[in-house]
Amino acid sequence: MSTAPPTTIAAYLDQLREALKGADPALIQDALYDAEEHLRSELAENRGISEADLLARMATTYGVPEEVAEIYRDKEIQITRALRTPPRKPAQSMLGSFFGVIADPRAYASLFYMALSLATGIFYFTFVAVGLSLSAGLAILIIGIPVALLFLGLVRVLSLVEGRIVEVMLGERMPRRPAYANAANGFWARIGNLITDPYTWTTMLYFIMMLPLGIIYFTVAVTGLSVFAAFVAAPFVRMVDGSNFSGLFIDGIEVTSNWNFLGDAWLPLIFATGVVGLFVMLHVARGVGYLHGQIAKVLLVRSTAGNL
Amino acid sequence: MTDTELHLRKFQKELSAGTVSLVLLSVLGHSSRPLYGYQIAKQLQQTQDALLSSKQSALYPVLRNLHAAGLLDSLVEPSVDGPPRRYYTITAMGREVLRSWTDTWSSARDSVDAILEGKFQ
Repeated sequence: MSTAPPTTIAAYLDQLREALKGADPALIQDALYDAEEHLRSELAENRGISEADLLARMATTYGVPEEVAEIYRDKEIQITRALRTPPRKPAQSMLGSFFGVIADPRAYASLFYMALSLATGIFYFTFVAVGLSLSAGLAILIIGIPVALLFLGLVRVLSLVEGRIVEVMLGERMPRRPAYANAANGFWARIGNLITDPYTWTTMLYFIMMLPLGIIYFTVAVTGLSVFAAFVAAPFVRMVDGSNFSGLFIDGIEVTSNWNFLGDAWLPLIFATGVVGLFVMLHVARGVGYLHGQIAKVLLVRSTAGNL
Repeated sequence: MTDTELHLRKFQKELSAGTVSLVLLSVLGHSSRPLYGYQIAKQLQQTQDALLSSKQSALYPVLRNLHAAGLLDSLVEPSVDGPPRRYYTITAMGREVLRSWTDTWSSARDSVDAILEGKFQ
């Protein structure tokens, strides 16, 4: 082993972070959390033993940081293979890959995420706008401090929640445990970190961005689905209504007039456009899902270098 | 490290990769109360078996993924000693899976034993 054995839990975690450098940031966050939980449990069981002695003993049971890093890298690969549904083989033909999207659960999940993002977007935006302005406005009063701290803390919690939503729906690996904060540092140091940590601010940026993004995602998803579904339904509506269809009225205004102005000859084409359009929508959803996953990863997950 | 040791290490690693999920599920299947990672690690340490009590850090990723697969339920409780602890319990689906895994394990173990004893010569 090249580095000196760690003598404090904080040093152990730093070494572990160092050993995991280059791994998925979400994986690093989880590994640090697990290690801290385990080491502190051991410490609590064995009161009276110094951290250094305890860590020396733990080297054989829990593993030294390098070993632990190796185990996490290995496990991540094995487990992804064993427990997750394997990704579908990409279809060979162009046609196959275009229509194959119908069997991809990821596309539907992304579509649902797009529809949901309006609601979450409004919530996040309102939360950050209100939180920031309340914190700034009350800053001159003594109660401004707890309000600001509560707000910053909640940002962290929401960041984890959004991460879980993104991982489940968009399939991007996100942290499953909160970011590790060094408990050895004092209360004030941790608050200082909360404010100086760029990750706090990128998280807020993400929440602000979620409103415009949510509006766009929602509009695209809902408009696309309803237009193309209407196209698919058009020939069947025509069959049912015959020529006696008098139109659909809202507040006395006919909203369906001339809906078939192109003539019945066009119906097969409209139907085909609708079917193709729905498949295109699934592809769009999958693409948006991937892009949004990348945005979330960059803004919500701290890169490894940050040392708290 | 001698060659024999190296081969032993590799064999242990592969063997534990296959069995650790079964063992964890079974520990939680037998437990009447929710357990957190450290408690499970301690139980396995009691077996004194080199394979099961080796590197406890390997348990956490497996627990997390059993949870992600719906075989375990979890809840977080704050603790005074450190970060909040995550307690795990087995789900109904977990029990079902455990039963089928146990059957598979038993039959595989018997067959391997039989072969090791040279019964199929």
